[in-house]
Order: sequence, then C-alpha cells, then structure tokens
Amino acid sequence: MALSEGPRASNSAANVASRLQKELMDIMTHPTPGITAFPSSENLTTWTATIDGPEATPYEALVFKLTFEFPANYPYAPPHVVFKTPIYHPNVDFSGRICLDILKDKWSAVYNTGTVLLSLQSLLGEPNNSSPLNGQAAELWDSDMDEFKRLVLARHKTPEELDAA
Amino acid sequence: MADAGYVLPDEELAQLQKLSSDFEPETTGPLVGERQSSAAITTEYANADPVYRVKTAALPSKYAYFRTCRGDGHCGWRAIAFTYLEALVREANVGKFEEEEARLMSINNLFNNVGINYELIIDFAEEMFDLLHKLAHSVSSNDGNADAILLQAFNDMGTSLSIITYIKFLASAWVQAHPADFEAFITTGDVKTYCSLSIEPSQCELDYVAVGALSAALIKPAGFAFEIMYLDRSAGEEVNATVFSQPTDQNGMLLPNPPTIRLLYRPGHYDILYKAEDFPPPVQQQPIQVALANPYNDSFIPSESSVDIMAMIPGMYSTSFGHRWPSVPYEFDASPTPQAQVTPVQPYTPTPASAAPVNTSRQDYMPVHASHQPNHSNTGRHGLHLEGPPVTLPIHSLPPPPVSIERGHLTLERGGPFRPSMYELEQINVPSFQTSIFKNSQYNTAHYMNPDFQPEAWSPDTEYGAGHKGKHKPPAQ
Repeated sequence: MALSEGPRASNSAANVASRLQKELMDIMTHPTPGITAFPSSENLTTWTATIDGPEATPYEALVFKLTFEFPANYPYAPPHVVFKTPIYHPNVDFSGRICLDILKDKWSAVYNTGTVLLSLQSLLGEPNNSSPLNGQAAELWDSDMDEFKRLVLARHKTPEELDAA
Repeated sequence: MADAGYVLPDEELAQLQKLSSDFEPETTGPLVGERQSSAAITTEYANADPVYRVKTAALPSKYAYFRTCRGDGHCGWRAIAFTYLEALVREANVGKFEEEEARLMSINNLFNNVGINYELIIDFAEEMFDLLHKLAHSVSSNDGNADAILLQAFNDMGTSLSIITYIKFLASAWVQAHPADFEAFITTGDVKTYCSLSIEPSQCELDYVAVGALSAALIKPAGFAFEIMYLDRSAGEEVNATVFSQPTDQNGMLLPNPPTIRLLYRPGHYDILYKAEDFPPPVQQQPIQVALANPYNDSFIPSESSVDIMAMIPGMYSTSFGHRWPSVPYEFDASPTPQAQVTPVQPYTPTPASAAPVNTSRQDYMPVHASHQPNHSNTGRHGLHLEGPPVTLPIHSLPPPPVSIERGHLTLERGGPFRPSMYELEQINVPSFQTSIFKNSQYNTAHYMNPDFQPEAWSPDTEYGAGHKGKHKPPAQ
C-alpha cells in the first residue's frame, strides 16, 4: 500500500531538487564574498564551487575549486565534497578528500552549500591538527610556517592552469 | 585469582556474543510499522537469554501492542514524533490540535533566542505543521483516516526526516534555553557544543539529554505522560519503566490517567509500546451479537464489553429499545403468530407480579409466559419493550406448544415452557414443575438470565429446521 518504495524514491528526488533550487536561489540573491557555487549538472546534484583563501593565512590570495555531489537523501546526508585544486593542508589528502566532521557524522540537515563552504574556508586558516590526513603538513604547520607556505604555493594551481591541464 | 571477578564464564560470553550478533535492528522494514501484538516480541526472544525471556514473556500482559520503528539511527526520534502525533489523534479533539500548533509556533522564538536561525529550520518545521493540519482536518471531519495519514507520512522518508529534524532542533533549542536542567548530564564541552555534536547532526541517535528535552518541550506541555520501558539484562522480571513526563494541571496536581506515550528501549533501539486500553479492541463478539449489533457498531466500548453483551440481548433492558432496535430484519417475526394461540389463557390476566416489587428483567420475562393477552391489557408496563418485533424475539421465539397450554389450564391455569415465577408460586402454592429441557429456562446457560449465561450462536437451520420445528408449526397452522 502506501509503504511501497516507488513513490518514496521519486519524492526524495523531488525533495533534493527543490531543496537545491532553494539553496541556489539563496546563494544568488545573497552572495557571500569569497565564495561561489553553481550547479554543474542539469539535475542540480553536482555543483562546482570556489573559495578564496582567507587573509593572513598561507592560502591568502589563492582560489580553490571544489566539487559537490549531493546524495539522494540530501539534506539528511552530507554532500560529497572534494578539492579539485591541489591543496597542501593537514586535513586534505593529495586526492582532495577532506576530513571534516560536519561532512561526515556531524552533518546536520540545516547545513547547506554555503555553510559548508564557509566551514572549509575557516578550516584553511584553522586546521585540525589532531586528526590530520596529511601528517607532514600538520607537523610543518606547527614547526615551520615558511616551509609550509612554500609547499602550499608549490602545490597550488590557478583555475586557468587547472582547466588547461 | 583477582582477575576471575572480571571474566565471565566462556559460555556466558558466547551467549552474549550470540545475542549481540543475532540482534538485528529493523533496517529494511517500514519506517514505522503497523501496530501488532507484542506477543511477537516474546516470540522473538523465545530462544534468547533467560533474562530476556522472562522479561519479554511478561510484556504482552501489560503492554498488549507494539509498533516497530526502523533501526536506521533515527528510530528514537521517529518514535517520539510519531507517538506524540498519534496521542493527539487519539484525543480526537480538534481544539487540542490548534492548541498544540499555537504552542509550537510560540516555541519558535526559542530558536532565535538561543542563536539558531529559525530560517534554517523553517522548511522542516513546515512539514510538522502541515501534518498537524492534515491530522486536525481528518479528526474534525471524522473521516477515520487520521491514523492512516499519520502512518503514511511517517513512512515517507522525506516527511519523516523533516519532522525528525524539526524535533531535533526543538530539543537542541530547549536544552540551550534550559542549560541548568541538562548540564549535569553533559560531560564534555558546553551545552551548545554538545547540542551541535550530539543532538543536531542528522545521524545522531536519541540520547538521554534529548529524551529529557523532548519530554519537557513537546510531550509534557501537551498533557501527555511519557514512559520508556527498558528491556535489557538488568535484574528483574519485567521491563524497567522510567517515567519522563507526568503532566500536571495548572495547580501542579498530577492529571489522572493522562494519555501516555510509551517507548520500548532495547540497547541501541527504540520501538513503540501500547497498553490494550489505548485502543478499542477489535470487534470480536459472540456470533449472536454480530447479527444484532449492526445498528450501533460504532458504540462498542472496550471496558463495557461485558455489559454490552447483556445490553444487546433483547428484553434485558426494557428502555430505549425503541431507537436502539430499529426494525432489525429477523426471521423470528413470524413467531408472534403462535403466541396468538395462547390467548385463551385469560384467567391469569392481572399477574401478581405487577403488584410485587420485582426487578425489571423479571417483568420482561414473566408476562409473556403468562399469556399474550395481558401484555396488551397492561400496556403501561409492557408497551415499552414490545415496540419492535425483534424485542419480542427471545421471549416469543419458543412459544409453548398447545399441549402444555391445555395442561396448564387444567392444573395451573397456565402453560408454556417457562418456570413460573416465584411470586406466582407463592400465591398459587403449587410446586414448580420445571421444564428444564427448554432453552427458555433460565437454568439453561443459554438463557440470558442465567448467571453463567453463555450466548449461543443462533442458527436457524439447526434450531428451527430440526429441533423445534415440530412444536412451532402446528400452532401456526
């Protein structure tokens, strides 16, 4: 009867789409400086985003590109977020995967693309060095900031370089 | 040897391991299941550890029904949200829905007060209010669909997760607004951090703090009691009930018999429990009632069922039959005809019973066997229960055969299969000659006046086709 799978699945797809449309509307009507996000697929379930490196951090003046993939049960499960721009950071591995609790078990349905991007932006300036994905970066952050900065810049590619590659 | 105290015997460990690996929370079933007999839980644990066996065996007698919640990490939240709304539906009071909506709307200020942007949860809250509206509408139109609407909404993943998200933030806001009530239970970090890590996340399970918060924010102000039955390996022969909410009135007095929300907690999982009296029992009456009960099916009330059985028997209560028995089509209608044959027994007209202080049921009972005539001459007393043909049924259905009437004339000036009333016997001073073989005798357990009354399924074929046909037909011809 009403407990069948079919309508529920289509409902949730519709829910995800309407939720993402709403987020897109919010981002476009209330743009946040230093952050952009826009759908990269027709069905809205993948987005491309950028964050500007925060001032007074090794990432200052750098722009980082990310992709978002939204699961079918979004917003009750977090989006899958990956850095596309190579980044040297204690909580990001060399494939761009991110270790951040709100993108895993501490995800809450009230978070959205904008809040995730803001969280990632602040993660750039305040890495969580107690659970690093990049152990060397975590060590250098505390011991040798100059070397850390050098490695950040060495690894970085601008969006243009990325597109060319 | 000091270590021995810390190590459980191997077999006990194996048993525990087995229990632990056997335990599979429902991850594929409906998000919220249909209500079912809690005997299923007993069965589920039939081969389990003795502690569980004893406790689950005692469960069905106290908590007759239960309802599963899918064990996907949301079960506790889902169980509370569902039971809260279900309790509202059971109240069947549209005003109560309006009160609760107004109350929850007013709580929305709480979100902004504790720094939760209500804009962020407005979509989730709207699902809750939408469902409240739908349920209220169903209750007000009395279409009987409210339960189905509720169950369907909670089995829609999107709707139920929205509502769960709403009550999570309700709990979070309540905890942050009443830190003093909860600080003692929060061991790490401040209240706000605790909420963001242990209440707000989508995948966090209902914990003790959240139970307390929802009890205080959602359940108690609605006037509902709230208990959780813990089914675990602790000592005892029953599940341990912990009371979270005992609603009070304005004067702080406990409300008597408030609607009660009950959850069953097994380590890591919540289901919903009910007592039998939370619901009207399924209609499971005697066959004879099924045949007669149609005119007022919906008036079955569980606690009165034993009384109702009596009330349904024509002639038991002389009043109000006029409207309660509006012309039930009944084959017995033919039987007054033989009664007419009894009219010759006139001498008995003013039965002593009319003067004697007899009880109602005896009045119903007596005049008929006396004769048909007095019934009509005595309309003041008998008119009431002779209004509708069905009423006369049990009384007239087995009229005395003519033979006994004749005999009655000769000896007692009366006849019929009925034992004479005690009042008659006093006057006439003739020992009773009891015709105990008849169903009409109150000494027969099939007779409604028998203290051990056991209604029989009425079957026209057996009763009239074979058994009594011979006696009925002759007077009718």
